[in-house]
Amino acid sequence: MREETSRDLGRVCRRALLRVKSALSSLRNGDTPTRVDILGKWGLFIPAVASILIIVLILSFLWVESGPIFLDPNGGPGIITNPTWDPTHDIYGIATFIVGSLLCTGIAIGLAVPLGIGGAVFLSEFCPGPIRQTIRMIVEMMAAIPSIVYGLWAYLVLVPFISSTLAPALQTNPLTAWIPFFQGETNGLSLIAGGVILAIMLLPTVVTISNDALEAVPKSLREASLALGATGSETASRIVLSAALPGIGAAVVLSLGRAVGETMAVLMVTGNALQIPYTLFDPTYVMTSIITNQLGFAFVFPLWRSALFAVALILLLLSVCFTLTAKVLIKWGMKTRGYI
Amino acid sequence: MGNEDTGLHLGGLNVVDNSIRTRFTRLLPDLAGSEHDLRYFKDKLVKVLLGLIMLVIITPFFLVLFQVAGTGLVQLFGTGPGQGLDFLFTFPGVGLEGGIRNAFVGTVELVVLASSVGVPLSVFGAVFISEYTRPGLIKELIEFASDVLAGIPSIVFGAFGFAFLVDFLHMGMGLVAGALTLAFMMIPTVLRTTQEALRSVPMSLREASLALGATKWSTTWNVTMRAAFPGMITGVLLAVGRIMGETAPLIFTAGNSLSVPTELVGSGSWVASMPYTIWAYISDPRNYLQEKAQGVALTLMIMVLAIDVIANLISRKVTRRLV
Repeated sequence: MREETSRDLGRVCRRALLRVKSALSSLRNGDTPTRVDILGKWGLFIPAVASILIIVLILSFLWVESGPIFLDPNGGPGIITNPTWDPTHDIYGIATFIVGSLLCTGIAIGLAVPLGIGGAVFLSEFCPGPIRQTIRMIVEMMAAIPSIVYGLWAYLVLVPFISSTLAPALQTNPLTAWIPFFQGETNGLSLIAGGVILAIMLLPTVVTISNDALEAVPKSLREASLALGATGSETASRIVLSAALPGIGAAVVLSLGRAVGETMAVLMVTGNALQIPYTLFDPTYVMTSIITNQLGFAFVFPLWRSALFAVALILLLLSVCFTLTAKVLIKWGMKTRGYI
Repeated sequence: MGNEDTGLHLGGLNVVDNSIRTRFTRLLPDLAGSEHDLRYFKDKLVKVLLGLIMLVIITPFFLVLFQVAGTGLVQLFGTGPGQGLDFLFTFPGVGLEGGIRNAFVGTVELVVLASSVGVPLSVFGAVFISEYTRPGLIKELIEFASDVLAGIPSIVFGAFGFAFLVDFLHMGMGLVAGALTLAFMMIPTVLRTTQEALRSVPMSLREASLALGATKWSTTWNVTMRAAFPGMITGVLLAVGRIMGETAPLIFTAGNSLSVPTELVGSGSWVASMPYTIWAYISDPRNYLQEKAQGVALTLMIMVLAIDVIANLISRKVTRRLV
């Protein structure tokens, strides 16, 4: 009796398994036109809208979470221009962080863009073949190194270098000592450290995207310029660079977005002092750092938490703006040049 | 006669001029002479200058590598407590003097879980927009959404993961919340590279399959996706390499732990990760922890760079995202 039941059970199981298996294989092969094909179409629609859904969720959550600070009488949109951040008195002005982020990004872009475009021109125009592959590989690896590792290096090497070598050299040298940007005592944790490490992290982005844009320029343009007697560097600077201008613009805008949103490396080297920096050696506080440092214990205080989410919302809106600008630049390139 | 005079006169001048010129040329071969030579000298100067700039660009890579490897190799191959093989395979223990097994296992678990959610989502999303839709509003919207997603700062993902997954869905910090946040970050990279890979599959393959009577889904699954497989794998590897080194999204979603997670929800699911461990160790004043941090950084760098190199080998021409 029991044996029969178990045999029955086994048969039922096997049949069920077979049914599941055949259904699966028919799903995989999809050779029954009506059912599975439609299933495929709608089954694929859900993952496709996932990215839209996530964007909408991020926007709405940051909006809702930052609501209290914008509606509060102490807060309001005025927090963007208020430089005082004092959670103990419920004053949440975020101007300090915005200025800090802008200065850091400005230094980084000022260093990375000229160097990066120069490197990209060298890579696409003048670099001999075998070296080109190696350099490109190294640049791609630089892009792959995690930001925390750059931060570690900056903290261990760059910061001591600034406090022991760079700052004294600039402050005692009679040529540069009078410049107000170089004044002030420093322990190395400073605006300039953040700017330099950011520039190092941006370089691979600028180089790879600009290089792609330069290589998309048709060879015929270069050949025409060379045939008219221009030298290689004249061709590169007057013809190729201007032909690739939209792509290079996109590279700059995308790296801007990365610079504003970079978190760990900047957090570790800028010193995180609640003040607006007046010299290159002053410590500063950027938008990403304040979220990282304070969200962990601020989440039980509604206003404080909401102010931090307001910072995140501003970061999000900035990054959307940068992406849009890059898209517009690329569209412009496609329209006026037909390649990118 | 006048002509001869002038000729002699000019010749005399030319002799002097030429001798000066030859002496000058011998001194500064590229500067001397006509505007022509000056232009070529400038050309060479620009080339050398750009080469130097390239050198400056790649120098930090070696500086970082030497700094991290200099101390890190001692951790990976030394014989002290928590060094050598123990560095990867023992728990931190008292005073964090042991290895980093918690972080190593945690990173692997996070990445595997994140990929198992993120990869199907983005691969099938890419299949939908490149195989199942005509160019139009939906396609544009999805592409735009994934580009925006690619540009969002990692800390914003962290704050969102904290507000949505941890707080709103009551998941609590831990493995699942951290992995889901990382999965969101994977989507744009994998989606765009898969889309590129699918676009490069020749139309004739699809047409041949359809002409043999295969359905759309069968064609997509058995022919198109198989042909696009190397490109897809490249995208997945690039995304994995990227999320492996992310710290900021994990701070508020995954927590930290000195052992491996034992459950899926609750405080037992808190998980350590290698980037977070680097940050925690480097912020610690104890000296040996700073050395350990460099060991962790070296391990992380080796893992990330190995994945990057494999991705490069699989597809020599990596399709890079240009928005």
